[in-house]
Amino acid sequence: MATTPTFRLARRRSERVVAGVCGGLADSLGIPAVYVRAAFITLGTIWGLGGLIYLALWLVTLDRVEDTEPAEIDPTQAVGLGLVFAGAMVMLAFMGWWPNPAVVLTAGTLAFGTAFLTDTSKAGPLAALMDPSVDRPSRIRIILGMGLLIGGLAIFTTSVGGVFEFGLVFLAVSLTGLGLVVAFGPWVRRLIHDLGEERSERVRQEERAEVAAHLHDSVLQTLALIQRSDDPGRMAMLARHQESELRDWLYGNVPLDGVDLVSTALKQTAAKVESDFQVPIDVVVVGDHPITDNTKPLIAASSEALVNAAKHSGAERISLYVEVEEDQLTVFVTDQGKGFELAQVGADRKGISDSIMSRLERAGGYAEVMSEPGEGTEVVMRVEL
Amino acid sequence: MSVRVYLVDDHRLFLSGVKAELDDTFQVVGSAYDVDTAIEEIRGLVPDVVLVDVHMPDGGGIAVVEGVTETTPDVKFLALSVSDQAEDVIAMIRAGARGYVTKTIEPSELEEAIKRINAGDAVFSPRLAGFVLDAFAGAIPSDDDPELDQLTSREKDVLRLIARGFAYKQVARKLNISIKTVETHVSSVLRKLQLSNRHELARWASKRRIV
Repeated sequence: MATTPTFRLARRRSERVVAGVCGGLADSLGIPAVYVRAAFITLGTIWGLGGLIYLALWLVTLDRVEDTEPAEIDPTQAVGLGLVFAGAMVMLAFMGWWPNPAVVLTAGTLAFGTAFLTDTSKAGPLAALMDPSVDRPSRIRIILGMGLLIGGLAIFTTSVGGVFEFGLVFLAVSLTGLGLVVAFGPWVRRLIHDLGEERSERVRQEERAEVAAHLHDSVLQTLALIQRSDDPGRMAMLARHQESELRDWLYGNVPLDGVDLVSTALKQTAAKVESDFQVPIDVVVVGDHPITDNTKPLIAASSEALVNAAKHSGAERISLYVEVEEDQLTVFVTDQGKGFELAQVGADRKGISDSIMSRLERAGGYAEVMSEPGEGTEVVMRVEL
Repeated sequence: MSVRVYLVDDHRLFLSGVKAELDDTFQVVGSAYDVDTAIEEIRGLVPDVVLVDVHMPDGGGIAVVEGVTETTPDVKFLALSVSDQAEDVIAMIRAGARGYVTKTIEPSELEEAIKRINAGDAVFSPRLAGFVLDAFAGAIPSDDDPELDQLTSREKDVLRLIARGFAYKQVARKLNISIKTVETHVSSVLRKLQLSNRHELARWASKRRIV
């Protein structure tokens, strides 16, 4: 079943690095998360812009609650991207925090290089190259990624100074970073986790409130009506009506891709006739089709046939059978009621079958009424699709 | 000789309702509210027909059918449900149930259905007939056994009439065939439903909306 993905921003719970903002954005855009993360890192080197945008998005987005996996942090990417960011910051320190194009270019090259690498391999780029199961495009990506990294380092070292000096500073920064992670890592992680829990608990509560509101408006009202009613027929009808409504709500007879379907329209029609005339209607639908100019007259005609059967047949129940084939749509309205002599119909009934037929003939369709006294009535209606 | 019936449903209200409705030609030998008790008691009692709800905790009707059939293959099952979920119903039939009716069925029709199941025939309600037509729609036979994977045009005719609300007797008259022949067609559809490898049946839920 093809559904059009709607653009909806939500944070990821699984496979995330910090709070799942980049992952969620990537899910919405339909691209690998690692590229979004690389873009944020690059932006982060310009006065920390990436970080600010990240924080803003974190505040305005919700957890993707349908993710059932536990909130896991993706360690490889966290380390890889963290190193790149640290590297970029070191460079900026050298440049006096002034983002000039060369620096941004370098940081971008480094970030995307790492992105290419971590995207393909969790075990490390070299291990991935050795692994025979890694496919060709991935190998190309790894090699490209390594090239970008080396290139980035080259730009950096030539613009800043000797490799030795860079190594020293890098070591210092790395050690500080490592120390911070060891000291505050577990606490930060716990904090993030608790925050996530709190948010999804809130989402769950909102959902529960919505369900409760719906049940109150529909099911509880109907139950109250049933308790106050003395007429068994009416009770059964209320229950039936509520059943079909609740079923639609639970199992979602929702239009596909925003297109209204013939089955939905006919089920609604049947439900209306059922509650207007207090006669149960058994609906069976085989196949489905979007509503078109051709099928609209058939839906209207089906409604008339159902009303007709409900008013005149005296049957205890009516069957509505809908079959969608490749090139045609057929509807049968069948009752086991008293039937009538086709030749001797009253003017009102003749009028109704005439209107059913003329409706369908205008749409290039076909209708036939079959009935015999004591044998019930069946109306067959068909249009081309 | 009365038909020995066993009831499985987690809705007690419904259980007692069915018990009260069935007349003297049926003997309700027992009932259970949960899957495990049901399997154990049915194995011991070996009733003729088991009425089993599709939706129940701990595996539902399918678990009962599969659990019993393992050791006691002679017991016949009639699935009974309010569910509209086609895939659940088809799964029950594929597990071995010989028919499916909705809980809104009239008592007289339920009695007839139990008798028919007891006689070894299949019971198709209008809704099940619709499900089956839908599931077998489109002519894509699998490689293994094309005959099992398609319905004959006569079988489709029978199913369409059942889906339109006609009883077996009326179906027979409309098609100018005997009731026995209608029963044969329905049983043959049941067999195909149970044995067919059509992958459409397996992942039918997602397919049913594709036009």
